[in-house]
Amino acid sequence: MISDYLESLAGALRFDRSLSRRVRQEVEDHLSEAVAAHPGSDRPEAEQRAIANFGDPHVIAAQFAVVSVAKQTRRAGAAIILVIAGVFIAMKARVAWYAMTQCAIGDDVKVVSGSVGLIDRYSFWLSVIIGIGGWAYISGRGIPAAFYTVYRKRLRRFLLLCTAATAALFVSVISDGVLTALRLTGAESFVEFVVPIFSMAIEIVCAGALVFQIHSVTQRATSMAALLKT
Amino acid sequence: MLKGHLDLIVLAALSAGPAHGYAVIEAIRRRSGYAFDLPEGTIYPALHRLEQTGLLVSRWVTAESGRRRRVYALTRRGERALAERRAVWQQFCAAIGGLLAGTRASGRPA
Repeated sequence: MISDYLESLAGALRFDRSLSRRVRQEVEDHLSEAVAAHPGSDRPEAEQRAIANFGDPHVIAAQFAVVSVAKQTRRAGAAIILVIAGVFIAMKARVAWYAMTQCAIGDDVKVVSGSVGLIDRYSFWLSVIIGIGGWAYISGRGIPAAFYTVYRKRLRRFLLLCTAATAALFVSVISDGVLTALRLTGAESFVEFVVPIFSMAIEIVCAGALVFQIHSVTQRATSMAALLKT
Repeated sequence: MLKGHLDLIVLAALSAGPAHGYAVIEAIRRRSGYAFDLPEGTIYPALHRLEQTGLLVSRWVTAESGRRRRVYALTRRGERALAERRAVWQQFCAAIGGLLAGTRASGRPA
């Protein structure tokens, strides 16, 4: 009986595997303790009573889901800052490498690179502003006890800010890719490619990590909404 | 009414020292004179939430029975939060007490 209950509770939380595992262990200990507290009574009856006292697994899972979404949201907020910092360092490292190797841009592509550079600069700073805004918006708030309407709106606003910051960052990374390609067109030795290609790879991984974090928040929020409907 | 004060109740239950979920629920029952008989399952999400906000810290220990259990304890921030919430609650009680002092208990509503 207890194992069925635990299965049901852990199953409802499968969108967050570590939480699901932890809750399963904690609740198993709790129910065993509750059963042991009534040594005289019939075992199935004691198990039934312990489960009834604990509550509906879907209701409990929904309460845990709010904590899980809040945790992932904060993680995504911190990820925005780290990713933007990572992209900035990669950009600066590439620029320093160009200066060191005296890798200049060709005269025929100077106009194009100037325009792309402008897009790159503005989109990057836009992502910085929106990203910091998103992080400040979510990190300064507490975790609600339930999925209140206010929290739902807050989560929607945060996801909107994250998506806008990520979109701006993607434009910046793509622009960086174009600029790197333009600059390396005339490069002769393989060594000249190493740092630009490596720094571009870092930028792409950083942007991908941000998308993954936002996807995780969305996935958990969807699972939580589904739990609340049941 | 209890729902709005769940955090304070849990923090107060843990003020005596670290405890696992079942012991927290027992402490709430015992220390409230069995007036607070909360649905047991609601305590765990509250413990997780308080841990996420940095008011509690937790770790796995092995019980005498051999089962692994999660033990929660107040952090410094948790102790401060408890002190602040206690002060607010006492102010609220004093204010309500003052309001009720001039009234007379009546069996029938006005």
